[in-house]
Amino acid sequence: MKKLLFSTAAAVSLMAETTELETLKTQMVHMQQTLQSMHEKINALESSNAQETPPSEILPLTGPNNGTLSNLDFSLILDTSYVNRSQKEERLSALNTPGFVKSPLSESPYNPSNGFNLNYAEVALHSVVDPYLDADVVFHVAEGGVEIEEGYLTSRNLPYNLRIRGGKLLSEFGRINAQHHHAWNFSDLPLVYRSFLGHEKLKENGVQFQWIAPTEPYLMFGIEALQGSNYASFGTTPITNSYDGSTLASSPAKPSLIVGYAKTSMDIAESTLLAGASVVRGESRIDFADSDPAFSGKSTLYGVDFTLKHYFDSYSSLSWQSEWLYRTMEGRQFSDNGSALLDELSGRKQAGFYTELVYAPDQTWRFGTRYDSIYHNALSVEGVDRHLPGSMEQISAMIEYHTSEFARYRFEYAHSNALFTTAGERQPLDSFIFSVNLAIGKHTAHSF
Amino acid sequence: MRLLLLLALLVSLSEAKLTVAVSYPYIASIAKTIGGDKLTVETLAQGSWDPHFVVPKPSLIGRLRSADLIIINGADLESGWLPPLLTRASNGNLNNPANVLDLSKKVKLIDIPTDTGRAGGDVHADGNPHFHLDPHNIPVLAEAITLFLSQKDPANAPLYRGNLAAFKSLWSTNLKRWDSTMAPLRGTSVIQYHPVFNYFLRAYGLKSLATIEPLAGIPPSSGHTMKLIGIIAAEKPLCIMHDVYHSTKTGEFLHDKTGIKLLLMPHDVGSLETIDTISALFDALTKRLQ
Repeated sequence: MKKLLFSTAAAVSLMAETTELETLKTQMVHMQQTLQSMHEKINALESSNAQETPPSEILPLTGPNNGTLSNLDFSLILDTSYVNRSQKEERLSALNTPGFVKSPLSESPYNPSNGFNLNYAEVALHSVVDPYLDADVVFHVAEGGVEIEEGYLTSRNLPYNLRIRGGKLLSEFGRINAQHHHAWNFSDLPLVYRSFLGHEKLKENGVQFQWIAPTEPYLMFGIEALQGSNYASFGTTPITNSYDGSTLASSPAKPSLIVGYAKTSMDIAESTLLAGASVVRGESRIDFADSDPAFSGKSTLYGVDFTLKHYFDSYSSLSWQSEWLYRTMEGRQFSDNGSALLDELSGRKQAGFYTELVYAPDQTWRFGTRYDSIYHNALSVEGVDRHLPGSMEQISAMIEYHTSEFARYRFEYAHSNALFTTAGERQPLDSFIFSVNLAIGKHTAHSF
Repeated sequence: MRLLLLLALLVSLSEAKLTVAVSYPYIASIAKTIGGDKLTVETLAQGSWDPHFVVPKPSLIGRLRSADLIIINGADLESGWLPPLLTRASNGNLNNPANVLDLSKKVKLIDIPTDTGRAGGDVHADGNPHFHLDPHNIPVLAEAITLFLSQKDPANAPLYRGNLAAFKSLWSTNLKRWDSTMAPLRGTSVIQYHPVFNYFLRAYGLKSLATIEPLAGIPPSSGHTMKLIGIIAAEKPLCIMHDVYHSTKTGEFLHDKTGIKLLLMPHDVGSLETIDTISALFDALTKRLQ
């Protein structure tokens, strides 16, 4: 009896299941029908839209939209120049700015030689790696070889307007530091940058964190931890005594640099102001190869930048850009007196700035002038002031002609009194640079 | 208690307004019409300036910073200025393709070049990106925007659809008026500075005879201007439809030499002071040609 009851119950439940299944099936059929009808409606709408557009009477539609399928953006920038300086390279290679590391113009990656220079072919690749990361690589292909100018990953979807970037990157210290050569208004680096940070500026392996504050006006904060290989202010190679091979200063813990900055911007009618304050601090190991005396200690570089740009219309603007840099270095210096190494307390306080004005009346022409100065150059050794030249200047002027957005021809003149022989004799330098800069490939976007 | 919580949640949900960033003012005009007061619209470019060369001011980063969605024109029109702003804004929402509406994907583009080499100037590989100047495209764009907003904000979808319906019926009345105003001009030809008005011309059967710039993005040359004088003398075009952002110097020279009418034509909302909505834009375009 129990068994019978059980089996009937089972049969009933089975039947119930089948009816449920059937209702499900009919529901599915219904859904399919609705989908089908929706599909038809969409098709009908699409074709009616197509009919609405009047037939082409002026220019025919040519083929389907066949934009680039590749997800890799590629661009190439070629920079060449003709240079005429009042000093020959062999003489130029011995001219430096006292109080700063050796950074002769003849060793610059840009315009090093009199006559013709192929400065670089800059190959830039950009792509989205996955939903979380962007990748950027910039190669500088020059006659000396291929260098990775930059190569980094950037986060795409961190919350709260946070961004992390890691790899080899140009620090966003100051204004001009993060800009590539072709974005500068003049073909050579401002005197303060060349003196404080060298030809390569602050370009390091490291990681960068940035945050856009939820404020009006625009306010951005960033910190960076960098390896510290910059040869002009920092460096990581140990310094050895050439007489006995002993270590004078061991290499610092790496990463050895910390960078911080805040930037803000506001619009006043058709003018835009961009201002920033930056600081970079870290260990210094400046070897004899770069400086005599060598130096080991701690250095801090402060920067304040200020850009005011006024737009008359889409194509004409007047831009005033300035940066002030101040450096302190505290530590020990090592110098060779001919028979032994001297190990002395050393302190430096140095300051300089550049200020440049660029006027673009239209898309074809641009005119600019720049004034560079290092006005404070104090070095004390064992508490005694060494008298270094305290006033070094450079003035530049340039005219640019653009045949299109992709080709720039620039004629530039610069006069410098910031170079000295090893004997401490000031050597004025006049430079004429005619440079040609071409951009091909993916349309390069402009930053402010 | 639960009910209270639920109510609180509902209230907070209904108050959470969507913020949409748009590249150009014409998109803002449509988005505001559809979104009404349920939508905050942040416009990046200024209507009076060249849409190809928008200055990537840092203040624009602030407008992208907290946006939930972005609507762009597409077809490469923003490629010269928007990407670095987006990288700077570090707004994860806008890096998600699902939150980006590219309007150029919703309409048929014309002037697709067979040769994208820059020997032909700075041509747009995907085709002419100024498709919003065909008034027949506007309802299509409005529909795309409505669909996009409804997907992202289903709670307000009925409102968006209602606004779309009202907009479309108003637009079809407008279209009839513009169609009849423009009808007598069918078959005539004009000169432009840059082929920015091609969609408008094509919609009304006008012909773009030549451009003042010899090639896209290349400034006028004397040789090309002399050639234009010849063309104007031979073909007697109706006028020069001059955009508001290029210098009218060459246009004025052509006017002096040949007597051709030089008309300053708006291309976007805000390009002239009186153009405050997208329908005012077409009112002005159709009226000025008469």
